[in-house]
Amino acid sequence: MVRIAQSSPIILTAPGIRRGALLLAPVALFFIPFGLAFGVAASTKGMAATQSMVLSLLAFSGSVQFSTLDLWHATIAYGTLALVVTAVNARHVVMGAALSPWINRLPLRQRLPTLALLNDANFAACQTAFRSGERDMGLLLGSGLVLWAGWVLGAVAGAFAGTSIGDPVALGFDVVMLCFLAAMVAGQANRPLSLVPVLVGAAVAILTLPLLPQGWNVIVGAFAGGIAGSWFHA
Amino acid sequence: MPDAISAWVAILLVSGVTLTSRLSGPFLMARLPMSPAMERFLQNLSLSVIAALVASILARGGLREAASVAAAILAMVVLRKAIWAMAAGMVVAAGWTFLAA
Repeated sequence: MVRIAQSSPIILTAPGIRRGALLLAPVALFFIPFGLAFGVAASTKGMAATQSMVLSLLAFSGSVQFSTLDLWHATIAYGTLALVVTAVNARHVVMGAALSPWINRLPLRQRLPTLALLNDANFAACQTAFRSGERDMGLLLGSGLVLWAGWVLGAVAGAFAGTSIGDPVALGFDVVMLCFLAAMVAGQANRPLSLVPVLVGAAVAILTLPLLPQGWNVIVGAFAGGIAGSWFHA
Repeated sequence: MPDAISAWVAILLVSGVTLTSRLSGPFLMARLPMSPAMERFLQNLSLSVIAALVASILARGGLREAASVAAAILAMVVLRKAIWAMAAGMVVAAGWTFLAA
């Protein structure tokens, strides 16, 4: 494992932001059709164009926004909505915790915008870099910004175009995010020991899927994998 | 479809919960003592959370998603570039939909 040397300072610089943006620019291109798919789905659900654009701008999360659409009825059950969104979001808390050894050494004014744009893709890409000695948190902020831009661009286009665009699923855009995350795991699980958290996490998430509300199974799997990995290491 | 006020309340609620979830991890960890064991746990956690997420999506999906992910992992192992992994997964998914139609 990589010990985080207390001597080397954690920084956030403009060149770091630029590198982060460039690093995930290819993924951000795929966020455009994703955001577009949300905009189209929202308009078929009767969400006004301004509402779906503001939601994409502020929430910036496919899983959260599509879950919201599932509950978009004439009378909104706020309690259910809050519970569902909390469950879907719970993995953000885990990702933030995993990044805390680095991120908590930034001043608050840099920490807040960096964390506000945290998502699956930039977490998966940047935590690898941080473990390999990267010290510039601009990587996380820059990649968050470029992904957010792609998502919002797509969402705006989708909100205005409505159903006049074809089906993004037919072109395979729906699996791109899933494939990126799988590739990130495959790229890191290169040692037998790192396979332990991956396999245990995956197995427990699948086994608990029928037992727990969607989202919580991911958290239980993550913790089981984390504990199993530590146990094997010891 | 909800009226405008309920819709905006819902949008703010969803956005607020999402922002809170993004900010809260590091703030919770700031209250816990950092030790080598905790660092090791967090390192494993950063792998297991993504693996659990992928597995959970696959378990709810079908063979098309599984085949796409298999292609992506193969591309990643052979070519070591995430962009080729995404391209491979997309081609398999699009091809699958095309052939199934």
